[in-house]
Amino acid sequence: MTTTRAARSIDWARYLRRSVVLGVPLAFFVVCFLLPLFYLFIVSFFEPSQVELYEKRLTFNNYTRVFTDSFYLMIIARSLLASGIVLVISLLLAYPAAIVIAGFSLKWRFRILALLLFPLMVSNVVRAYGWISILGRRGVANTVLQDLGLIDAPLFLLYSFDAVVLGLLTILLPYMIISIANALAAIDRSYAEAAQSLGAGPWRSFWHVTLPLSSPGVASGCLIVFFLALSAYVTISLLGGPRFKLLVSLVYDTVVTFQWPRAAALSFILLLMAVAGGAVILALTRPQRVRRRRA
Amino acid sequence: MSKVRWLLLVAFGTCMTLVLAPIVVIIAISFSPIDGFEFPPSGISLRWYASFLASDKLWGSMLFSFRTALTVAILSLILGTLAALALARSRGAAAAVMQSLFMAPMVFPAIILGLAILLFVRMVDTSPWLGLIAAHVLLGTPYCFRMVMGSLQAFDPALEEASQSLGAGPIRTFAYVVMPLIFPGMLAGALFAFIVSFGENNASLFLTSPGYSTIPIELLGFLQFPGNQLIVAAASTVQVGMVVVLIVLMERLVGLSRIVRSDSKS
Repeated sequence: MTTTRAARSIDWARYLRRSVVLGVPLAFFVVCFLLPLFYLFIVSFFEPSQVELYEKRLTFNNYTRVFTDSFYLMIIARSLLASGIVLVISLLLAYPAAIVIAGFSLKWRFRILALLLFPLMVSNVVRAYGWISILGRRGVANTVLQDLGLIDAPLFLLYSFDAVVLGLLTILLPYMIISIANALAAIDRSYAEAAQSLGAGPWRSFWHVTLPLSSPGVASGCLIVFFLALSAYVTISLLGGPRFKLLVSLVYDTVVTFQWPRAAALSFILLLMAVAGGAVILALTRPQRVRRRRA
Repeated sequence: MSKVRWLLLVAFGTCMTLVLAPIVVIIAISFSPIDGFEFPPSGISLRWYASFLASDKLWGSMLFSFRTALTVAILSLILGTLAALALARSRGAAAAVMQSLFMAPMVFPAIILGLAILLFVRMVDTSPWLGLIAAHVLLGTPYCFRMVMGSLQAFDPALEEASQSLGAGPIRTFAYVVMPLIFPGMLAGALFAFIVSFGENNASLFLTSPGYSTIPIELLGFLQFPGNQLIVAAASTVQVGMVVVLIVLMERLVGLSRIVRSDSKS
């Protein structure tokens, strides 16, 4: 009897301890992450106000106005296009690069991946500024091209769709490469060897064996790249200039002009685009084909 | 060399160039003796570093960023370690949901996070600085969570049981057995959180105010006006140098393999 009672009291102590250990971080995430998002969602259904954060009158206008205005629809289409292009280019560049990296010795693989990881730790502002100094009117590209006599007048390379795509590629390629290279490195080589010994050529064994097995890495890389391409405001505004707007720029503009309900609605439209794009990515890459092994 | 192999190497080279070129260029032009870029350079000078040190605004925001990042690293470490301790050995749907919640800020659009927290800060009427800390801690915790989680899953749970069966209570077991084993992971996570906070600029956009402005936001302000831009290059190079030092430190602590994996969200 006494042992069971002791055991029970220990269980209570353990229960209490576990709920504190989990409760503290959980409470922080609920209060500082989920609650503010929920509040933002609520605000998106109120009328704007001149003095308060919002007028206490419910409305769907913040959303319907966006979906009936051709300007907003054009911006939404352009945002999807830009993110889509960045996604496709980064996938086409990163997959071959990841194959090269996965073929390195362990030591060199980690060194190269660390070299790709390190720019991620440097502020986006800094990396966008790097492109400004390369592409600007008196930048590296124009100076070198002029000195070599290839062009007479400086080219206008900045503040364009292309400059934004380039800037986004710079900040997002590492995620895609690291993700795919780790997935490729985890694939047991005997699978591809088996396919080839059964008569499949290198292409067929890549297409039917390696590519499907790498799909979890491809999927997570694509999801990160797409999400971040939609929302990388600083890169988009610095390289796109004041006139080139994407949806996330409109979120920023509405916030700094204190149109809170409109900003909230645009935010949730952006999130909806991210979720919809994510669903398409998952449907195309089908990462669930590969059963996850615990490392 | 086969044609395929050649194409693969071209893609690899393009990737490395796209990723590294902006940083290399910034470091190179930060030593320029003139206000602009010239090729070939006419000399090397530290004048932009001198004006960076002389600028109270930039230097002040550098110190503010440092203080903020230090606070964020400590708080993220506490939250991330607690969350990892709670979830490292749990299975099931509830644990999976919570794990996704603790990892979510890594991919969540940071600018929307910043907006949500700004509105919340206004509603509960507290200082935006607290909002900035909260946003950065949210962004830093996933790194600590993941690093500590990796350390916890790497050691044998029998060690913990042995300690408890020898009469050590849970707190002593944590202090003398668990903590020494996961300490490298904890430190690496804290360094990650520090770096993330130091470079963050999307969530911070709405949460900084004069006197409470982080260095990336201050640099962003500098870039809106023409002229004197090379001071930004100098400040950026200082930041790059700091990141390199911290990454080398992490490499010593947990090895490159763990650092590199920690960032792929597979």
